[in-house]
Amino acid sequence: MSSAALFIALAVFGLGTGAAAGLLGVGGGILMVPFLTLAVGLSQHAAEATSLVVVLPTAIVASVALRRRGVGDLGLALRFGLVGALGGAAGALLALALPAATLRVVFAAFLTVVGLRLVHDGVRA
Amino acid sequence: MVARDDAMTDRALHVSTPLPEPDVRRPLDLQLIAIGVAGGILSGLLGVGGGVVMVPLLVLWAGYRQREAHAMSLGAIVPISVAGILTFGIAGRVHWLDAVALALGAVVGARLGAGLLVRIDERVLKILFGCFLVAAALAMAVRA
Repeated sequence: MSSAALFIALAVFGLGTGAAAGLLGVGGGILMVPFLTLAVGLSQHAAEATSLVVVLPTAIVASVALRRRGVGDLGLALRFGLVGALGGAAGALLALALPAATLRVVFAAFLTVVGLRLVHDGVRA
Repeated sequence: MVARDDAMTDRALHVSTPLPEPDVRRPLDLQLIAIGVAGGILSGLLGVGGGVVMVPLLVLWAGYRQREAHAMSLGAIVPISVAGILTFGIAGRVHWLDAVALALGAVVGARLGAGLLVRIDERVLKILFGCFLVAAALAMAVRA
């Protein structure tokens, strides 16, 4: 793919990722990292780093839009996120000591249980 | 009478105006701190943003409505991703042209997604998010 075509393809993928992130309340890394490794051919580390740089403006734009509409409490979210950021540093250190594959399986099980519970709640409500 | 009809029609036409929801204002308590730390740790451990763990905890544990939880998660992701950028040692690893292209699309998409979040039915949102989590779990299991 030419670099211009790749640029456009990435912008289009970013549009979809940003929309999903703004709706689902996530940063979008879970969508971007696989795309950057599998479709663009970046290494895992490069994909995670590049994705993180995109997550920041995505979350800022969505947060500002939601604050303007009165959904949520941005000041409170920023404060507990700041505390969480310290946890993130601890997590990065832990990641070096723990087996990543095992963690992924445990986390995948957690997501499955929670996901099914939310679908169940939504259908029943 | 006429004035009241006009007012009602006016309200009915403004479908984008969010329905009033219970006030979510609360102090920064230990529960929210624990959720932020859980999101931050998983973000550091697995390289994902932390939203996939914070949103379920905000809804099922802290009692936030789905819509409000998504907004809170997005706000918390801002400092968490700043910390990630500062500590990850990523300066040399970022592919900046790719990042700029993705970000140009993503900021436009984020406005669209947030606009939809304001209006979407709470139940539909819950089901959508649940399906998204299960799909994320499958993708993660495949990678593991």
